[in-house]
Amino acid sequence: MKAGIQVVLCRCCTEMPALLDMKKLEAMASAADYVVSTVVVDAVCDGKNLADAVRAAREREADRVVVMACHKKDISPGLTKAYKRAGINEFLIEIANLREEVVLPHRDDPEGAQKKAESKLLATIAKSALLTPLEKSTEEMKTKNVVIIGAGVSGQAAARIASEAGAHTIMLEKSGKSVKAPGIVLPNTKVIGCKGYPGNYTLTIQAGEKIEQLDCAAVVIATGGGWTALRGPLASAVKDSIPLYKLYDQLNASQAPKSPVIIVDTPDPAGKTMKVQDYAWDETLETVIELKKKFPETRVFVVFQEMRAYGLNELAYKTAADLGVKFIRYEKASPPKVDPREPTKLSVKDFAQGEIVSIGIGTLAFASIPANPDNLVVAEALRIPMSPDGGIRRGSIQRGPVSTPRPAMFVCGSAMFPKSRELAAAEGEAAGAMAAAYVKSGKIEFGGSVAQVTQEKCSACLTCVRTCPYEAPFIGTASKAEIKMQLCQGCGICVGICPSKAIELHNHTDEQIAEEARTLLGGGF
Amino acid sequence: MGERKPRIIGFCCERHGMDSAVLAARSGKLYDASVKLVEVPCAGRVDGMHILKALEDGADAVFVLGCLEKNCYYDTGSIEGRKRVGYVKSMLKEVGLEPERVEMFNAASTNAWAFPEAVSKMVDVVKRVGTMGSGGEGQ
Repeated sequence: MKAGIQVVLCRCCTEMPALLDMKKLEAMASAADYVVSTVVVDAVCDGKNLADAVRAAREREADRVVVMACHKKDISPGLTKAYKRAGINEFLIEIANLREEVVLPHRDDPEGAQKKAESKLLATIAKSALLTPLEKSTEEMKTKNVVIIGAGVSGQAAARIASEAGAHTIMLEKSGKSVKAPGIVLPNTKVIGCKGYPGNYTLTIQAGEKIEQLDCAAVVIATGGGWTALRGPLASAVKDSIPLYKLYDQLNASQAPKSPVIIVDTPDPAGKTMKVQDYAWDETLETVIELKKKFPETRVFVVFQEMRAYGLNELAYKTAADLGVKFIRYEKASPPKVDPREPTKLSVKDFAQGEIVSIGIGTLAFASIPANPDNLVVAEALRIPMSPDGGIRRGSIQRGPVSTPRPAMFVCGSAMFPKSRELAAAEGEAAGAMAAAYVKSGKIEFGGSVAQVTQEKCSACLTCVRTCPYEAPFIGTASKAEIKMQLCQGCGICVGICPSKAIELHNHTDEQIAEEARTLLGGGF
Repeated sequence: MGERKPRIIGFCCERHGMDSAVLAARSGKLYDASVKLVEVPCAGRVDGMHILKALEDGADAVFVLGCLEKNCYYDTGSIEGRKRVGYVKSMLKEVGLEPERVEMFNAASTNAWAFPEAVSKMVDVVKRVGTMGSGGEGQ
């Protein structure tokens, strides 16, 4: 195969020439194999310079490009667009980061930097010559449905934003409560299974006794916290312990709670530790101030490990203390205890005084939200991993703060971990917007740099099937592994682990990686 | 044989690994110019063969930089990468090379210190155990 490479050297205004010998680099690039055109530009991120480079590529009939500039993520969109218009495949554009890998970190060592830049240039050209053109495929979405699981605070926020953005929302609620939300609301419904791939999921839902199939493009998980599932020795010793929001409801109904004790932290079911709950501080303070204002005579205790009221809420802490709320701080090693034989007394070792205080309990309220037990069912059905705390696990933060490890599935609110109402609503809005943006185009884009199995080499050992986090490989009709392109994310985990070396990742093949490393090492240090 | 500069190859995942290297550069951190980076889509893409081939081609030390294990872009990629590095270490021991020459690191894209720290660790390793072939056959 004959390859014609265009090398674009970016001066990055004055940064590169200040350290590197650009003339030498240019000469090296021109002398390298396959290179048909070498262009030095002031700044490749500048539209005019880019247009010049693209014109030169077209004149010299280059079919692939090596750009020596800065971080790929910064310049890639513009470059890809411009070169695509000139008829160059987007997978044949190789961007090497000369600025952040060579110039900035080695500005004290011009000689070393020059050598490194030279080897980087040669390695990128060598890699570029081995690239193959790839195409992305598109597919129509069957529906533009966004399924929202849970009709709580975050679920309703998600439905509102998603329907405003033009998506068709279907809300599944496990209880029979009536919810006013845009789109369809299905009460008494649970998710029990999921098939398909991002953009064309098919959920199996159980509505009452009936089991039905529901097509959707994206899913928002808003299962919320498990309010009803207060566990741990404290909650089991005191029979009438309630979550904080019930105490707040009592206040709104002007019922005076009997000498309440509020525990801020989450009890661990094993009974050994109490977990600090950061979201609960503000809500606790809000409730106790309300309580003291309505019923000044009531005695209120707040028991906590740490109190960090953020920002202006620090003033609420002071106000609550002025109103006569008693704050008791304890150490993690000695959590508060209730003797089951005498469930009206809470004994806790006060951190400041070092003495054991005994408090009479009228109402025991927990400010924390335990994880929702339903998460287990939902995670199993949608095949999403769970966090050790029993929440739905969030994907890498680079995918977005409301994403799960699976594409086109979003998670918001207390389904991840306990959150305040405001935060849950904000996250719901974010998840709704993300889901709506995903379904907006109505097209699924897949392919490109994905893995492919060479069937003759495959020994059907199932290693890839077990390893892939996205469940893309499967055993096809020929009793050999195949890869579902729509599910493949192009990470290459299966490629590295395949014992028969039957899988290859397009444009990140073993040969290409080894060649790049070899050229880097051969470039002289 | 005269002292030569170490040669170190780093396989960086293009998500958090490369981002932390870029952030380190942008926040003014300096590190040894003997380190050269190969970008891979994920730490899980790195195969034992790549590391061994790099050592064969003249690298004195090889490291793999991936995402934090609980924040990996591809969910289990950096865990898989660590397994393979462990496998290569055991192989190096078998053939009589120092297993410290190969190491796995994790970084978040906001950890500007993680990348220079990894580099300086590898440079120290090469200083301690010597460059490839410097010890002769006896060692």
